[in-house]
Amino acid sequence: MIDGPEKSIKEITEGFSKHGYICSEQIATAVYLASQLEKPILIEGPPGVGKTELANTAALHFQQEIIRLQCYEGLDESKALYEWRYGKQLLYTQILKEQMADVLEGAKGLKESLSRLMEFEDIFFSEDFLESRPLLQALSTENGAVLLIDEVDKADEEFEALLLEILSEFQISIPELGVKKAKVKPLVMLTSNNSREIGDALKRRCLHLYIPFPEAKLERQIIQARVPKIKKSLQKQLVAFVQGIRELDLKKQPAISETIDWAKTLILLNSEELDVQLATDTLNVLLKHQQDIEVVTKEVPRLISDSMGSPSGKSIN
Amino acid sequence: MERVLTDFVKALRNANVRVSPAETLDAMEVIDKVGYANKGLLKRTLSIVLSKTPEEKDKFSSCFDDFFTDEIKAAVEVDLPDKKQTANDDSSDLAKTLMEGSQAEIMLAIADAGEESEIREIKYFTQRSVFTRRILEQMGVGKLEDEIMQMGSQNDGDVPSDLEQQLRSQLTGLRERVSDFVQQQFLLHGDVSGEQLREQVFKSMNMAQIDRSYLQEVHSLVRKMAKKLANMHSRRKKNFRRGKLDIRKTLRDNWVNQGTLFNLRWSYKKVDRPKILIICDVSGSVGAYARFMLMFLFSLTEVVSKIRAFVFSSNLGEVTQDFKDTQLEPAIEKALQKHGGGSTDYGQALSDFVSLCLDDIDKKTTVVILGDARNNFGPEKAHLMKLVYERAKQVYWLNPEGKYRWNTGDSVMRNYSAYCTKVFQCGSINQLERVIATLLRTAI
Repeated sequence: MIDGPEKSIKEITEGFSKHGYICSEQIATAVYLASQLEKPILIEGPPGVGKTELANTAALHFQQEIIRLQCYEGLDESKALYEWRYGKQLLYTQILKEQMADVLEGAKGLKESLSRLMEFEDIFFSEDFLESRPLLQALSTENGAVLLIDEVDKADEEFEALLLEILSEFQISIPELGVKKAKVKPLVMLTSNNSREIGDALKRRCLHLYIPFPEAKLERQIIQARVPKIKKSLQKQLVAFVQGIRELDLKKQPAISETIDWAKTLILLNSEELDVQLATDTLNVLLKHQQDIEVVTKEVPRLISDSMGSPSGKSIN
Repeated sequence: MERVLTDFVKALRNANVRVSPAETLDAMEVIDKVGYANKGLLKRTLSIVLSKTPEEKDKFSSCFDDFFTDEIKAAVEVDLPDKKQTANDDSSDLAKTLMEGSQAEIMLAIADAGEESEIREIKYFTQRSVFTRRILEQMGVGKLEDEIMQMGSQNDGDVPSDLEQQLRSQLTGLRERVSDFVQQQFLLHGDVSGEQLREQVFKSMNMAQIDRSYLQEVHSLVRKMAKKLANMHSRRKKNFRRGKLDIRKTLRDNWVNQGTLFNLRWSYKKVDRPKILIICDVSGSVGAYARFMLMFLFSLTEVVSKIRAFVFSSNLGEVTQDFKDTQLEPAIEKALQKHGGGSTDYGQALSDFVSLCLDDIDKKTTVVILGDARNNFGPEKAHLMKLVYERAKQVYWLNPEGKYRWNTGDSVMRNYSAYCTKVFQCGSINQLERVIATLLRTAI
């Protein structure tokens, strides 16, 4: 029994790395638990540490379709759950008008006509006229899916309440049709950048994974996986440099995605080694605020010399 | 094993990690899958299930390490020599238990003694040694020590007898175990982080007397309160959620009715969001309070978006942007350095304020002034205050000094208070809380 989870977690780590996503043990454990317990995961962390990418990779790994719902202020149920196809309904009533006349032929009075109409099913509010939106789609797939609800914190608080039924019961109640249950429970991942506090009710129903900035070793692995062309020495230097930047007091810390972009930039420039001039010139790939760039520019010589010193020190470990 | 988990959850709650019963059930399910054998895996899984913010994860991690130390202890127990040597007939009960009883019996004895010494009452970490001592006494350690001493004196030779040696080592073991027991009980029952105690003390203390090193803790307290104030505003806006017809939405939603507009849809734009202008005195006379008031200012800018913050001693300057850009401490330092310490001139500050943002004051604006109204006998320019009062929705004055000192010396509180919606004394967090409660009641 003890052997089971450790093995599966290892499988997940390896499977993910095949798709170019290097994950820490914590992340692999979370994915394992989510698939075992059939519970959603709420993923938090600074922007650019690979929250969305995790969901994409999970979909590849489990060979399931990914269904993505991007949240924004004002998102409501007609965009997230389902909507009736009003246009189609209108069109069909127009077309079926004559049929109606046939049905009603010979009926006397309002009461009789109505009771004749009642004999028919409520055809206009059936699945044919239902436009499913991401959440409903995720519940109705045959093979299961990975449902990514991206940046929940951007949606209004009321929207969270809307999610509760889906996340805990994997069902949606549609007044006209009744309760729709999931055929196969999807793997649900919610991401948040913490622009506001997520409600307790939602948190209770989720597993919680916090992805911090990676440690140097992990970041090196990630760079190696994502930018395979990079030279070992440059890659070590680059990661040490970025790790140094993260210790400074900045408005926005460079995340993994920025490190990757930077690595690609350096490859493009055919550079073999990081020097003060090169680093200063390409800082804008790494940092997105002018103030931050100014702060870091002053520190570049120190950071470079630190990162030069560290590879030899770290290679011993 | 379920007992272990529930105890652990209790310890977590004590450490201020909020764990609901539903989450406890989740944890049980998880443990079924994962088992107790791999400690690293157990920690990772429980951390995913039980702790739900980065701060909680930190607390969880240390709490877990404190709580699950059993492994190490179990390893030590194996090393202990197998003792089954009988004690003398005239030995005390404790000696007998130690020498003859099993591990479980000894643990039971400790637990009993703990019950007698009311270990549940343990609150603060400083009490740990007291309780350890008390439990040991309860178990009769004093007597045992005497016994060992006696044995030593009876034994003339240099080499102590086997029994004596055994007893000594058992006694050391017992001491360790009792202190572990107390530690664990403390995790379960005590105020582990000391937060409750500190909060209590801080709240009632005069702000000028709180040491600077506690700034962070006080900040979190003040922040809670600022959030309350901000929430009041966000609730207000819900009342304004009707009023304008959303034509696009109405048309779309009424396709169902063949275009007859049965269900009207209202636009969800919040029309009103109150503005706050807050002015803080950081001059020499309120030096001791300035940090506290700046902290409140800072916390408010953190939680309210439409706020402008100003500080002054003689000339007034805006610090909104500085506060938004940096952390608490550098922001406060910067504000104090730039504007603080000088002699007060309310007249000058008011005229600066008026020229800077009188146009910005309208009937949705709340103006809050933090200061002692000690004006160094300079010109008061109360007419400017009147101007502000007439334009703004409300003007509040929070004075950190005790009421009995208002209007003494160079304090001109009475001249300004005529043009305030309300005036409060606000020198400690408790008072601040009361002020905010009053604001909440009256502001709507």
